[in-house]
Amino acid sequence: MNEYVTLTINGSKVKTPQGTSVLDAALSYGICIPHLCHMPGISPIGACRLCIVEVVKNGKSKVTTSCTLEVEEGMVILAHTERILKARKNIAEMLVAEAPNSRAIQDIALRCGVKEVRYPFRNKDCVLCGRCVRICAETWQSKSLGFVGRGSERHVALPFDKRPEFCKQCNDCINVCPMTITPCPGPMKKGEEFFCGLCESQLSMAENIVDTCVDCRLGEGFNCLRAKNK
Amino acid sequence: MNTITSMKSLKELSERTKKDNQKYSKIVTLCAGTGCQASGCSSIITSLHEELKHKGLTEKIKIRTTGCHGFCEQGPLMVIEPENIFYSFVKPKDIPEIVSETLSKDKIIERLLYTDATSGKKITYERDISFYKSQNRTVLEQNKLIDPCNINDYIAQGGYSALVKVLTKMSPEEIIQEIKESGLRGRGGGGFPTGKKWEYCRNAEGSPKYVICNADEGDPGAYMDRSVLEGNPHAVIEGMLIGAFAIGAKHGYIYVRNEYPLAVKHSKIAIQQAEELGLLGKNIFGTNFSFDIKIVRGGGAFICGESTALMASLEGKVGEPRPKDIHTTDKGFNDLPSNLNNVETWANVPFIIKNGASWFASKGTAKSKGTKIFALTGQIKNTGLIEVPMGTSLRKIIYDIGGGSATGKRIKAVQTGGPSGGCLPEELFDLPVDFEALAEAGSMVGSGGMVVMDESTCMVDVAKYFLKFLLDESCGKCVPCRVGLSRMLEIIDDITKGKGTEEKMELLKETAETVSIASLCALGKTAPNPILSTIKYFQSEYEAHIKDKRCPAGVCRELIHYSIDEDKCTGCGSCLKACPHGAISGEKKKSYRIDDDQCEKCGICKEVCKFNAITIS
Ligand SMILES: Cc1cc2nc3c(=O)[nH]c(=O)nc-3n(C[C@H](O)[C@H](O)[C@H](O)COP(=O)(O)O)c2cc1C
Ligand code: SF4
Ligand code: SF4
Ligand code: SF4
Ligand code: SF4
Ligand code: FES
Ligand code: FES
Repeated sequence: MNEYVTLTINGSKVKTPQGTSVLDAALSYGICIPHLCHMPGISPIGACRLCIVEVVKNGKSKVTTSCTLEVEEGMVILAHTERILKARKNIAEMLVAEAPNSRAIQDIALRCGVKEVRYPFRNKDCVLCGRCVRICAETWQSKSLGFVGRGSERHVALPFDKRPEFCKQCNDCINVCPMTITPCPGPMKKGEEFFCGLCESQLSMAENIVDTCVDCRLGEGFNCLRAKNK
Repeated sequence: MNTITSMKSLKELSERTKKDNQKYSKIVTLCAGTGCQASGCSSIITSLHEELKHKGLTEKIKIRTTGCHGFCEQGPLMVIEPENIFYSFVKPKDIPEIVSETLSKDKIIERLLYTDATSGKKITYERDISFYKSQNRTVLEQNKLIDPCNINDYIAQGGYSALVKVLTKMSPEEIIQEIKESGLRGRGGGGFPTGKKWEYCRNAEGSPKYVICNADEGDPGAYMDRSVLEGNPHAVIEGMLIGAFAIGAKHGYIYVRNEYPLAVKHSKIAIQQAEELGLLGKNIFGTNFSFDIKIVRGGGAFICGESTALMASLEGKVGEPRPKDIHTTDKGFNDLPSNLNNVETWANVPFIIKNGASWFASKGTAKSKGTKIFALTGQIKNTGLIEVPMGTSLRKIIYDIGGGSATGKRIKAVQTGGPSGGCLPEELFDLPVDFEALAEAGSMVGSGGMVVMDESTCMVDVAKYFLKFLLDESCGKCVPCRVGLSRMLEIIDDITKGKGTEEKMELLKETAETVSIASLCALGKTAPNPILSTIKYFQSEYEAHIKDKRCPAGVCRELIHYSIDEDKCTGCGSCLKACPHGAISGEKKKSYRIDDDQCEKCGICKEVCKFNAITIS
């Protein structure tokens, strides 16, 4: 039966089971598409927008997130066009300005080519990626955490701000949170934030070949699917 | 009431209603829309009823309370037929005179006539008013002919004959073909071809299917959907019935904004009346087509008008958009095929079926067909709801219908498409209003907002205003919109305070690009329009703020200074008394001074000075 579909990502032919997301397919072939809110096996929400790609159809291209996009036979994906790289880098810059105290986010910003952060730092302790919320609801069927509030008031909360009885005490919410590991130089105080960039040496390899996974170790910082599966 | 089961019985009901109306020598149409209610039409309606009873005229004169006529700024308004006499700003104390003079003796009451804003002439008949004359109304036209709470009125206007036509003579495929050929595109903002959407939904797998009417209308200043649903709910219901039949849907929802109680009330009554006549519900028209409509009140947020957020809200979840990699026509409400259309889109459907696709397609431009309702507001003489063929020029709308500048100052821009539309300069006023032309110019038709601005407006300040609105309405789910918009606001706020730099200006543009490319839903994707369009067309205003630390329109508070012109100041002292911040000093009969450090730029002194001695620089 037609269980596998073939598509092209950045010109490479990729064969993958039906139902896979374009992001998972790319990563499994060693094509690096930076991502933050996506977790393997957990439903996507398309919140961080780092994994944006262009889908080319009938000569027109549309930008969408690869984590929410299911593979289709004959699909043509361009994950690293100039337009995408520029927007992705800008998103990463926004993220690191929001939350410089995350090793994962510092790593992503570096991987996306950020050289300086032009926005004033805000030093938040959550980037609303929803990883905790979803792992809690989906892996543990617990729903102890949820998003509350709209717009700038949006935040993650426990029901009535108390750990509920149905919390399984699994600590997975903490394990998957990009905010729990601080950058290598240590926690940054308010007013003293900076863009770390210490791992640059590792990246010199990746600089010119953006679309290839170089098993960059950075991936560990942001729970890169490929880095995790090793 | 007997149910309607054939074209014949529908025609009979229509004829009977028309005959009933012919018994009257006059019909007084009173607008009872939300706008006129706000200006007090309810007591006029009561007084008129009482006065007619008192004078024994109830057999001769009929009162018809209708939905919005579109010229709300002149309300409460009254139209007397068959003469077509138009009275504006009617008050309860005018009623006895109207009854004894106009209704009994055909005498015109000068004082109640509308004064043309441009010529200053009194105008007697509604048809001669330039605001109406320059329009071409289809959907809105029915509002003044129909009491929305009386289905017979709608039927007398040919209502439900389109439904009967499709049920008896057309196959679902033929209906879809007809809608496709008409070129109808969504009136809710996206402009997606309606026939194509119906076809996707018809061909989608899954059952039951749903049709949904989007009446969330959260744009500030917009009220076209409210007016249609309030004034002509049956047109929307008939449109939905036709759509449901074509798509194969069994259930429908009208998702109404919570702040629209009258629209809710009128649609409820309309649904009930249609059910009583067998035009809605089980085995409609004696066929095996069944369809019901429920009304759901909105979640109260602008974002709930976005299709996927609306469907989440319908399911009782938080109204938040989801990625649309799978279309709602495949998996929408409850993960089942769902077809969402805007109020105005639905209301156009019966007209297309009745008059044919080519009738509809004969109006408009190559790719934008038919007429569209706009909410015209801002610094122009006539404001209100207008309906014009697609492709009408902005100039015609602003000057012919709107009557041009209200203040005498030069009109410099129009913002089209609601909060996430763009600002277009005077040089582009000859652009035809159609989906493609406005999009190419960096704006959009959107849901149909149109705000006209004169020289007293600062375009940077306007862009900031809309940006702030959109940031407040962002659901906060995705990074480009939640974070990007707040960064843009940070930068533009600095610019209006004289703290902008050229580097930050570049960053503003780059961030705007990112937000429009990468955001999850159309709110984020279109949110940079006000910024990008003002940068494109009013670059010099940005430069003045950044380089010269100057606000050319004299609006941005941090960049302006109040001072007193010694030559004009008579030393009356009014400003000193009025200033709430103690910034003015001086002695009576001599000239006064303003201390710049203490001045909060509230402008009160300028308002109170009778000698025009306060100047802004
Ligand atoms: C933030 C946002 C708000 C919207 N609000 C409305 C609305 O109030 N009414 C509406 O009809 N469409 C609204 N839309 C557009 C809908 O998503 C959808 O495109 C439309 O209802 C489809 O109907 P149409 O094809 O008939 O226009 C909104 C879109 C966005 C992104
Ligand atoms: S707490 Fe951590 S995992 Fe949860 S949303 Fe915030 S950043 Fe993401
Ligand atoms: S390990 Fe590094 S290079 Fe490889 S996919 Fe993960 S992040 Fe990309
Ligand atoms: S673009 Fe804005 S409104 Fe839309 S999902 Fe993202 S944050 Fe929410
Ligand atoms: S602008 Fe306001 S604060 Fe300034 S001097 Fe006039 S009244 Fe006083
Ligand atoms: S990983 Fe796809 S949007 Fe976050
Ligand atoms: S509400 Fe009366 S004219 Fe609009």
